[in-house]
Amino acid sequence: MLASLSKKLLPLLALAAFVAIWQFAAGFWPPELFPSPLIVAAALRELADSGVLWSNIAISLARFAGAYLAAIVIAVPLGLFLGRNPRCRQAIDPLVQVLRPISPIAWFPLAVLWFGIGNAPAVFIIFLAAFYPVLLSTVSAVVGIPPVYLKVAANFGARPGAVFLRVIIPAAFPGIMVGLHIAVGTAWIHLVAGEMLGAQSGLGFMIVDARNFLRTDWIMAGMLVVGVLGLCINLGMRRFELWLGRRWGGVA
Amino acid sequence: MTASIKISLQTAEKLYSSPLGEDVIALAPVTLEIVSGELVCLVGPSGCGKTTLVNMMAGFEKPSAGVVTIDGRPVRGTDPDHIMIFQEYGLYPWRTVLGNVLFALEAKGLKGKEALAKATEYIELVGLTKSKDSFPHQLSGGMKQRVAIARALAVEPSVLFLDEPFGALDAFTRMYLQDELLRLWQEKRPTIVFVTHDLDEAVYLGGRVVLMAPGPGRVQKIIDVPLAWPRDRIGDSLAHYRRELFKEFHLVHQQAADVASYEI
Repeated sequence: MLASLSKKLLPLLALAAFVAIWQFAAGFWPPELFPSPLIVAAALRELADSGVLWSNIAISLARFAGAYLAAIVIAVPLGLFLGRNPRCRQAIDPLVQVLRPISPIAWFPLAVLWFGIGNAPAVFIIFLAAFYPVLLSTVSAVVGIPPVYLKVAANFGARPGAVFLRVIIPAAFPGIMVGLHIAVGTAWIHLVAGEMLGAQSGLGFMIVDARNFLRTDWIMAGMLVVGVLGLCINLGMRRFELWLGRRWGGVA
Repeated sequence: MTASIKISLQTAEKLYSSPLGEDVIALAPVTLEIVSGELVCLVGPSGCGKTTLVNMMAGFEKPSAGVVTIDGRPVRGTDPDHIMIFQEYGLYPWRTVLGNVLFALEAKGLKGKEALAKATEYIELVGLTKSKDSFPHQLSGGMKQRVAIARALAVEPSVLFLDEPFGALDAFTRMYLQDELLRLWQEKRPTIVFVTHDLDEAVYLGGRVVLMAPGPGRVQKIIDVPLAWPRDRIGDSLAHYRRELFKEFHLVHQQAADVASYEI
């Protein structure tokens, strides 16, 4: 009883302490430089009332969803293919190992040159951020399938199509989900970066735009929204995994 | 004997190339004939080639030389009529007990009600009707292996290969499953090749026991156990064959020790 209460209470306490320290520290600087939580809350309200916040959230979420789904649609089938073809995997592996450490942000100048200012560079950067974790975890999930699963399928005479759909995909599924979860995080982090650099809308742009007007309260309000939305996406993802795990016989 | 020859090995051998490029003998030439409906146990210590031998019969490995035939036809790969049961069960964790048995039937081309009826029948045969909607991770090791046996029998194979199927189970479960296997064998009469490293298990189950020896892997001796089933585990008649097998095994041990001391 006490343990469960403290489990719920402690995080709230830490949060309250954080806000209190913030409020205290903000007293030492002028509000234009370091706004207090109260000022940021007011700014948040201002942005919400004017509708700016909502339209930017909508745009950011749409970009995020589009780029993330595109990464999944390309990376999962490619990962399944590479996982099943050792030759192709060996051929492509060095290339992936060279491209992967390049931060998606580093692609930004080229992305703007190629796609112009607007949706495309931001979407491209989010796509890259999600692509590698999904690809690599899909490949390792397929490679890690216990050989006995495939031996059994071969022994019963299952056709290649059935082996793929009924053995390889479900066996690799928990591993693929791990990649999808990691990718949600990295993609969301890069969303803001992508929008700060090349877009004319979205939460990242909102933060850059606020800087141009020296509205530190709007900057912090924007950061707060990014953080809370990221948390919500993560929680949603975990819910989804739990639900899948139950359907999957507890192996996910 | 009226029964026909089911599985035949003619000087079948298996070589591997070592990392140094030398040929290593995994299994020296084996000539063996197994009659339809027989229950043969392959027994021996690790490195004796018993798994290699059963894998060649089941079509998971090709012999380097010699011929393996089943029903007079050379084995060219796995066959749904010759099913292997593995020590690690090979159940699909995302499928229920019923789903796992259905997988085999669907691979065979059975569909809908027909497949469901057959799967239900074989799950009942191994006594798992109550658990048919459970997932493998909810079952004990013995129950998992019973599912694997139900899945194998459901496609009504003429040959059943079992590669140390009870090796991971505790002694009580193992004895129970040995008796279950005998009951199912007498009911369905497939030809069974049973691999084990347990001499007691081999002599309790096998109509014939093929004793194998390592270094290089080879058949040491084939012992007939002409006792009817069910056998008395602690009876004198079984003890006689048990003694014979252990004596022979001791000889293998002695040879290995001699070779070892010779090499030093």
